[in-house]
Amino acid sequence: MSREFSKRRVVVTGYGMITPLGKNTEETFRSASQGLSGIDYITSFDTKGLPCQIGGQVQDRWLDEIHDPVAQRYYKFSARGLRLIRAATLEATEQAQTEKIAARDRIGVSLGYHADNPTIEDLVFLHRFYNGNGSWDMKGLLQAGGYSYLNFLRRKPDVVTSMLSILSNCKGPNLSIVSACAAGSQAIGEAYRMLQEGKADVMIAGGCDTTLNFIGFIGFVLIKALSERYTTPQKASRPFDRKRNGFVMSEGAGTIILEELEHARSRGVPVYGEILGYASSADAYRITDTHPKGLGAILAIRGALEDAGISSEDVDYINAHGTSTVQNDLTETVAIKEVFGERAKSIPVSSNKSMLGHTIGAAGAIECVLTLAGINQSTILPTINYEFPDPKCDLDYVPNVARTQEHRIAISNSFGFGGQNACLCIGKFDG
Amino acid sequence: MSQNFITEATVFEEVKKAIAETLNIDKDLIKPESSLIKDLGAESLDFLDINYRLEQAFGIKMARHFILEHIEEMFGEGSAIDANSQITDKAVSLLQFRMGENFPELRPGMDMDEVPALVTAQSLTSGVLDILDSLPEKCSACGNSEWQSENGLRIKCGSCGEYAAFTNGDDLIKAWLTKVQEEKKIF
Repeated sequence: MSREFSKRRVVVTGYGMITPLGKNTEETFRSASQGLSGIDYITSFDTKGLPCQIGGQVQDRWLDEIHDPVAQRYYKFSARGLRLIRAATLEATEQAQTEKIAARDRIGVSLGYHADNPTIEDLVFLHRFYNGNGSWDMKGLLQAGGYSYLNFLRRKPDVVTSMLSILSNCKGPNLSIVSACAAGSQAIGEAYRMLQEGKADVMIAGGCDTTLNFIGFIGFVLIKALSERYTTPQKASRPFDRKRNGFVMSEGAGTIILEELEHARSRGVPVYGEILGYASSADAYRITDTHPKGLGAILAIRGALEDAGISSEDVDYINAHGTSTVQNDLTETVAIKEVFGERAKSIPVSSNKSMLGHTIGAAGAIECVLTLAGINQSTILPTINYEFPDPKCDLDYVPNVARTQEHRIAISNSFGFGGQNACLCIGKFDG
Repeated sequence: MSQNFITEATVFEEVKKAIAETLNIDKDLIKPESSLIKDLGAESLDFLDINYRLEQAFGIKMARHFILEHIEEMFGEGSAIDANSQITDKAVSLLQFRMGENFPELRPGMDMDEVPALVTAQSLTSGVLDILDSLPEKCSACGNSEWQSENGLRIKCGSCGEYAAFTNGDDLIKAWLTKVQEEKKIF
């Protein structure tokens, strides 16, 4: 492999997460390396009568344990997303010691998030003042005074990005990414690009999402995206398995501190890895169907390799998008085979979603961090619930048990509804 | 009971309307044998939209699951789709029995992915008619049997004014499978 360092190099100096498997990176990674599942019956809202009643929840007590009076006054601007991303970000910024950096205008924030859904209670309240034909009883609504201006802010996906800049005092570029399941990866990729181009020295990048409420959930139920056939909740997310039948909705957040290499060196902080390349693409095809030949996915993977200046021969591990839907896992397999050719079958490919479920905007960020942790601990996380091989999905999916194996360069795929694709190329830090 | 209020021609007209509005195409392009996916360019999400429009028009509930899913559920895993994602011989003969012989694509060894393309304007029309034929003898609200048609699309009780309650599409498929299994013992 030969890479030319004409561009500024971007390294990782901190990371954090909160997921259904753990309140931080260490806990999540440990549970994932044991092949545990974070999926269970949903308790955050009443799922009676719904064809899917499972999901991956973050434990409330983990959030309650965090003593964070500064942030607490802002929780009203976001039902849960802010709490999740704040937890992940505190872990990451503490590790990277970003509070010691003097030039706050050189630190930016890049976040993938899709805002809160309106609550049924809010809609019912508004309904009282609506005649059904486009007319509002504004006098009554204002007099009743029960409809909060905060609802407006809660539905703006950019508010949590702003909150992070306020809470971490980051005056650099502030970027909100809204691209469904690709958002977390894109937030990291675009932050990496800004650092390469010298627009900032440090970027707090990541993603969060919390869709385990009625309005958030019901849309996915109606389009039949979620798994409805499972023997136990823990068995429902089964990427690449022949009996996969939809994804499992989860919540969570992941944060990564990206830093220009020389800046990190001048601070003398430990470096945990390097972002080597990134690309994004669009299928330009359909809203929920993936392109049958994986053309958009292929463009993103090839683009990331090219951006990293490496060839497909150099990739040791693929952290798959692997949602457990019939279409995604097949298309992703087709795309991997097209890019990696003969070698595809000898590269380990695994899906963290088999254990975590799908955290939507957080997925790309959480998976990027888990990939990095795997590289540093010579551990390849498994794809659990892999029981019935699908003849059309015939790669090495690291079935059920983590593998101890040294690896240096990985890619992490994220493909969203609407055909929005992102791929990150992540490497061990070589110094 | 079979009903005589809504004709097949009316249902087909509504099916055409639903497809044309969903896909934003000219109604005249839609023939009974047109495959929604192959001939008219529908994607999977469009099926939900078309079903929703038909449900609104007739006051019915279309099936949410393909018949293959019902077969798997009723007769066990692997009964409709084998380990190679291919339709089993038994499921193929059952589908031929249900859909008629006009589908040359419908053959043993056919891939599961090819099944959605079998949905045509005519198969949707039959689906709607099956549901309409589940019209109960008596109104569930008042117990009288004085059904009347409203706009040629909805059936309501001439006595109390309630709309008829039909069996939903999934339950009808299950009932049909049970009956065929009893008669033919395919599985």
